[in-house]
Amino acid sequence: MSFNAVINEFDGPLDLMLHLIAEKKMDIFDLDMDLLCDQYLKYLEAMEAMQLEIESEYLVELATLIEYKSKKLLPKDETKLEDGYEEDPKEALVRRLLEYQKYKDAAVQLEDYHHERMLELSKPLSVFEENDDEDIRYNGNPNDLLKAMNRILRRLQLSRPIDTTLKKKEISIDDRILVIKARLIDFDNTFSFVDLIDDCHTLHEYIVTFLAVLDLAKNHILYFSVDDNDNIWLQKG
Amino acid sequence: MENELSKEVIMEGLLYLVGEDGIKKGQLAEVLSISPEDTEVYLNNIQKRYEGDGFALELVNYGGLYKFVTKKAVYDYASRLFATAKASSLSQSALETLAIIAYKQPITRSEIEELRGVSSDMMIRKLQARNLIRDVGRSEAPGRPILYEVTEEFMDSFKLESLADLPEVNEYQEESEELFEE
Repeated sequence: MSFNAVINEFDGPLDLMLHLIAEKKMDIFDLDMDLLCDQYLKYLEAMEAMQLEIESEYLVELATLIEYKSKKLLPKDETKLEDGYEEDPKEALVRRLLEYQKYKDAAVQLEDYHHERMLELSKPLSVFEENDDEDIRYNGNPNDLLKAMNRILRRLQLSRPIDTTLKKKEISIDDRILVIKARLIDFDNTFSFVDLIDDCHTLHEYIVTFLAVLDLAKNHILYFSVDDNDNIWLQKG
Repeated sequence: MENELSKEVIMEGLLYLVGEDGIKKGQLAEVLSISPEDTEVYLNNIQKRYEGDGFALELVNYGGLYKFVTKKAVYDYASRLFATAKASSLSQSALETLAIIAYKQPITRSEIEELRGVSSDMMIRKLQARNLIRDVGRSEAPGRPILYEVTEEFMDSFKLESLADLPEVNEYQEESEELFEE
């Protein structure tokens, strides 16, 4: 027996069964379950011989087919009918195959539509510039921010302890972001930049903190505003 | 006002601007402050006008979104002009899964799997990632499984105005009741 198609070409056990039914010209409305079961089994065996992995779904359906076959060999238990209605497994399988065939047909149509659609091109939305940053909340402009930062630096100048040491301690913006994130929990919803830098002692730390705030604002973790007195106010996002 | 363009012509301009995103009828009516009936008429007029051979664009309505797209004949030349990557096509199993969801929505994963006979978890995630389907809440069934439906993106990808435009599928019906006789 030759196999015209490899199992990878099938989208599942139902697809394979439909292929076998078509190939053996079986009547789906009067399905020869024995023939289908034999063909199906042969197919899986051939796959195994070719050392192809058989997905578990195929085995589940095989079990159903074999169960049906074995049940037929047993004498019919007439009393069982009274237990209530139980769908004949063959009937159930045919129903599933027909339903599946329906969607396979639709998929062919849809593929055509999709192909046609691919030939139609359009251009991206024309965007108005001012809409670009509508989701970033802040009052004031970069100049306000600059002025406010200058004020903080002046304050540093004034509060600089006389016995300064020349120890250089580098901290990265990423590290500072982590520290700020951890400290955020203790802050009120709105707080000032001055609150945030009360653990800083050097210009380097001030600037890193400032850059960290900009980064947090970019990621919407913090929002900032600058008031008339050049105070930077921060708000949790 | 220097322009004396009619609302219909302005509508055409708006349709040009929205590009591939498209715009809903209601939005056009609101922006232009015109009645839904007029919107309908204008849209039809524009659509008709562009049908002519003198135009490279056509006005389409996919999933309720009106947009201008180039006519098919443009594609060959456009592909020479732009070295764009070919839009990814959809596999047979993707199409099949989409078909099932479109016809049966809202539908749970296990219902899809029952119909396809194969596990569909990965496929559903792929289709969701491509924004062709989305989840629309949960079924009342035990375990409250997620329900899926197709998106506007799906409608657009398959040139459908609404689900009513899905291809008609043959119901394979039996002529007799043989099956029930045994």
